[in-house]
Amino acid sequence: MRYVLLAVALSSAAALADEALLEKGKYLVYAGGCITCHTEEVEGAVPLAGGHALKSPFGTFYAPNITPDTETGIGKWSDDDFLRAFHEGLNPDGDAYFPAFPYTSYTGMSREDLLAIKAYLFSLEPVTKEIPDHDLPVFMSSRLAARGWQMTYFNSGRFGPDETKSTEWNRGAYLVRHVGHCGECHTPRGRLGGLQYDKGLTGNPDGPDGESIPNITADPEHGIGRWQLRDIEFFLDIGMLPDGDFTGGSMSAVIDDNTSHLTPEDRKAIAIYLKSLAPGMD
Amino acid sequence: MQKTRFRFLVAALAITTGPAASLVATAETTSQDAADYRESVMTSLKGHIGAASMHVRGLVDGPEFLLKHARGLANGASEIATLFPAGSNVEGSEALPVIWEQPEEFAAAVEKLVDATKKFVAAAERDDKPAIAAAFRDVGGSCKGCHDKFRAPKD
Repeated sequence: MRYVLLAVALSSAAALADEALLEKGKYLVYAGGCITCHTEEVEGAVPLAGGHALKSPFGTFYAPNITPDTETGIGKWSDDDFLRAFHEGLNPDGDAYFPAFPYTSYTGMSREDLLAIKAYLFSLEPVTKEIPDHDLPVFMSSRLAARGWQMTYFNSGRFGPDETKSTEWNRGAYLVRHVGHCGECHTPRGRLGGLQYDKGLTGNPDGPDGESIPNITADPEHGIGRWQLRDIEFFLDIGMLPDGDFTGGSMSAVIDDNTSHLTPEDRKAIAIYLKSLAPGMD
Repeated sequence: MQKTRFRFLVAALAITTGPAASLVATAETTSQDAADYRESVMTSLKGHIGAASMHVRGLVDGPEFLLKHARGLANGASEIATLFPAGSNVEGSEALPVIWEQPEEFAAAVEKLVDATKKFVAAAERDDKPAIAAAFRDVGGSCKGCHDKFRAPKD
């Protein structure tokens, strides 16, 4: 009898742990902005089933289906496949991803966080949905081009906290640099699309979909140096700039799908980190 | 000459699609004036919502003033549908052509703001803090939703 009770207690503890893992994964799916790119922009599109067209100066990329469908999604992926995609930028066949998939930022994410995301994705209803091939110029039509790019511009590596800074600052740095991958739009790119890290978050005149993306360093003239911490937190929550204007365009989707779902503590951590950036720093 | 211009503009306004009445034009109203007027009304909305946001966030206090700003928002919002006469997408305007190409969708987006501002006023009249916060969020969401599709991205 005692053993039965113990078994029941253990299995409900395991169920609770599972639930906590899925909650964490779901939160990170928001924080990682997965929904924005992996959901087609049509009425009634199933979230995360792919098909969103990402137009860039290098061609049009179609985001894949990341529901656990075994044929058209990621249902056959092992934990190692998943980790390798984020940490190394390689698909399960070992081919390189184009950096439209922001593994260049996600590489800093912890194994624990990534496996929570995987657990959550695998808890979703699988959706069978074929996604078109990327529409790219001839010189980029092979994965070898992606491999070459990767060897030139990419360094794999996990985030390590800066012990001289506060816990909040480090949390903000992790969210901005890695999970939220803010630099993928807000940092200018060189001719072949490599991020110019020395100009981190200073804005990108040639952002995705032809948008000019603003400087979000603490530069008081061109950046957000005059914003108070709470202005940044409020903006990330609701989309209002300090002067009362409301953002539109791609940042509007980031607020809807990502930052408005974060805890107030995480929005504050992001604000603290951004305010600490001198113009041109990352 | 002025009379001709007036007739032309009235004709242009008359064929404007969408459910709403059009801008109240005079003999002097040019397309540029229509665009400038629109921008002025939008700027007044920005001022009201910026001020209202500080009440909502608890950074200032004074329910009677919040109510004034809420009414200012509702008044301005009720005018928006009239602010886009045909031909007013002049050079330099942030209004995207899709406004005139999909007038029904645009009208629906504007209506959403009008409804949200009415609820905001009602909540401010009752000084009901949770309702004020929720309604403010909806007002902001409808500003953002409309800018997302119908306004050119800022440089």
